[in-house]
Amino acid sequence: MTTWWRRPSRPADPLIADLHDALAPDRVRNDGAERSLTSHDASVFDGGVSGPVCFPTTTGEVQAIMRIAERHDRAVVPRGAGTGLAGGAIPLGAPIVVCTGKMNNVVQIDLENRIAWVEPGVINLDLSKQLRPKGFHFAPDPSSQQVCTLGGNVANNSGGPHCLAYGVTDAHVLAIEVVLPDGQVAMLGGLEDEPDGLDLRGAFVGSEGTLGIATKIAVRLTPNPPAVRTMLLSFSSVRDAAQTVSDVIASGVVPAALEVMDQPMVTAIERYVGAGYPTDAAAVLLAEVEGLDAGVDIDVAHIDQIGRANNATEIRLAGSDEERAALWKGRKTAFGAVAQIAPDYYLHDTVVPRAKLADVLEQIYEIVDRHEVLVLNVFHAGDGNLHPLLVFDAREEGTLERVHAAGAEILRASLEAGGVLSGEHGIGVEKQQYMEELFGQADLDHQNRLRQAFDPACRANPGKVLPAGHSCADIQALRDVPTGVWG
Amino acid sequence: MDLKINADDLNSCVQCGLCLPHCPTYRVTGDEALSPRGRIRLMREVQDHGAPITNEVRDAFDTCVQCRGCEPACPSGVPYGRLIESTRESLVAVGELSARPQRLAFGVLARPRLLRFGSTLLAVVVRLRLAPKRLGLPRDLPFRRTKHSASGDDVFLFTGCVMDAWQRDVHHAGQRVIEAAGFGVTPTADIAPCCGALHTHAGLGADARGRAEATIAALSIGGDRRPIVVDSAGCGAAMKEYGHLLGTAEAAAFAERVVDIQEWLADHLDRLPEVKPLDICVAIQDPCHLRHVQRAHAATRVALAPFVHRLIELDDDGLCCGAGGAYSVFHPEISGDVRARKVDAIDQVSPDLVASANPGCSMHLAAAGVETAHPMELIDRALRGEG
Repeated sequence: MTTWWRRPSRPADPLIADLHDALAPDRVRNDGAERSLTSHDASVFDGGVSGPVCFPTTTGEVQAIMRIAERHDRAVVPRGAGTGLAGGAIPLGAPIVVCTGKMNNVVQIDLENRIAWVEPGVINLDLSKQLRPKGFHFAPDPSSQQVCTLGGNVANNSGGPHCLAYGVTDAHVLAIEVVLPDGQVAMLGGLEDEPDGLDLRGAFVGSEGTLGIATKIAVRLTPNPPAVRTMLLSFSSVRDAAQTVSDVIASGVVPAALEVMDQPMVTAIERYVGAGYPTDAAAVLLAEVEGLDAGVDIDVAHIDQIGRANNATEIRLAGSDEERAALWKGRKTAFGAVAQIAPDYYLHDTVVPRAKLADVLEQIYEIVDRHEVLVLNVFHAGDGNLHPLLVFDAREEGTLERVHAAGAEILRASLEAGGVLSGEHGIGVEKQQYMEELFGQADLDHQNRLRQAFDPACRANPGKVLPAGHSCADIQALRDVPTGVWG
Repeated sequence: MDLKINADDLNSCVQCGLCLPHCPTYRVTGDEALSPRGRIRLMREVQDHGAPITNEVRDAFDTCVQCRGCEPACPSGVPYGRLIESTRESLVAVGELSARPQRLAFGVLARPRLLRFGSTLLAVVVRLRLAPKRLGLPRDLPFRRTKHSASGDDVFLFTGCVMDAWQRDVHHAGQRVIEAAGFGVTPTADIAPCCGALHTHAGLGADARGRAEATIAALSIGGDRRPIVVDSAGCGAAMKEYGHLLGTAEAAAFAERVVDIQEWLADHLDRLPEVKPLDICVAIQDPCHLRHVQRAHAATRVALAPFVHRLIELDDDGLCCGAGGAYSVFHPEISGDVRARKVDAIDQVSPDLVASANPGCSMHLAAAGVETAHPMELIDRALRGEG
């Protein structure tokens, strides 16, 4: 029996040999199988080429990898759980891939100051589960929270249904220990309420691995709410649902979450989990309010009233924790459930002003009809964060082209409505080419200079975020390894 | 090469990654190649794109415990069990994956007398401390076994192979519990000696189908339609999947008769006398093939609750314990790492005892010093007035 964790002889490739020395042979993989796997994430992007794959366990090892990369003139790409949807973790030009999966310790929980220090490979939900009995949780809850890592959350400034009330990852990260592209360790931010100097922590959160690798993160702990109410409102038109969302926010109620699903989405979810969603409604709004007992009942009454004013066909209040859990399970498994309809999906992530939600949605339906693509909508309505899912079968000739064409039009429609490219999934490789439509040249130039200040040699996740023409954006200069090479 | 995986099954994975945390080998390695998503992608590379079977690819498939914890976690309903079973069978068939030690070892399973003789020998070897520790063999392997005897013909009690040789007392306890509910029991004993579950996992498809056909024939004589009660989660899961394994209407009809003993008891609880519960706090370890494959783990709680002081849940989402039939013998290192997580979860709730409805799991945990018992043993003790 051959096992990869047995100690092999020192490899001939000097880069691999150095990595072996710095880590341990069983934590450096250079075989075709592993490289082919780390060339992908959860996105549809297919052009990744991975170099050696490393599994460091300490900050010191990440530093060593960075220095070896510098010596061998290789780029470095961090990878958490590989659940990204914009291709941010996809390696371009055979870089060293740094998997954070083995850096998964919750280092310290400080309940008094409501802070926890965690390593980047800690799974989002694992942290909240560990905190729950102590009365706290980590507020950002991406739909992939049962698998995605906190390092990935920091890289993408991830959101989630409950970020409407609590804010996205940026609002919950106090300090980050970072290994910079030159191998130095820097502490960005601090535990004080108002750390001195520029907010480099803020620059790092959402930088998608282009400024360095986070090796330790101080996150804010949020107390669990004393009372929670979850409501389900059904509508006979998407416009009524969108209007309800706008009216709720305008009324001054700040729900913990406001999520809308359209009819095709609800049908897919029902077929999978049977969450009890009404499949005959054109749109379903999931609203959750948190707070003190008396307060949440008042909020529920408000939302109920606004729903009725907007022609809600049915309004339901979850009567038990089980019912609540079932309603959320439906929402949280939405993306996977689409496979019931077709084997591939392409998910967008634009944000539009809340008041324009209904208009943009109608445009989306018109665009996909024209391109003969099927769309399912599920989105963080409270934030105006749309998630149109284009579902298709890539094996059918010409489908992928139609999907991309429709996707591009959806992006433009969102930008024209005054929106932005990404709410939470990041730019990655997927939306790079649209950056120029959102930002002017001066904007992009400044972003580029910030990036260069951290990474003058373009070694940190090159080819991502900034569009071609900016430094670190061109990957032609990067090494290419023929695809399909195994061994 | 063709792994003989149904193309639609293989294509149903959308690579979302929600399975990752539910995979024991991914949990302890953080390695995509040892995750369901990674393994499925490798299956595609091999079957659809002709990628060669390298050592790493082989290891990825070989290290899968086949706990199937990924299946309930998958929003797309990927039939992962079918994928990995086809893959292993195809690789074993062309000699890319070795199953020789398994074939040799499992050959004895359908020969009950030889198996019992071997087990008695093994009991001596273990007592003399001559068995390698990494095998994790139980210290208390029995020298002799009380004979099975039928008490009626309401239900079959499926007794299986290794479990019958090593843990026959559990069968006796199960039989007494069913009898206490007023039913006559026919233990299957040597008439249906092995269900073929271990063969299926090892990729020995032909042997597995042979065992399945023999089992169906032996328990269907004269159009016998009696329920087949099974007290080993692994055997129960395999027998409930005979319909898929053999693809015949007869096999599907047989599978309908199979019921896990906890499931059966949960439906007949009102027929048991009210007794004083045992004064112990019991943590429930759900065998994967009860929870993820049969999805009957709720029944364990229903059946056991009246007979013990308190039931405690483990906070690990039913992650595998690493036993995996014979997996712990062939992959001791990774299996031990997986078990360490389970032992941690058990330590956190500090129960008096851990109840496990599968012989492999209970032996694997016992080898790490965890005190285990089959739920039927506990119910039997309570019914006998030990509470």
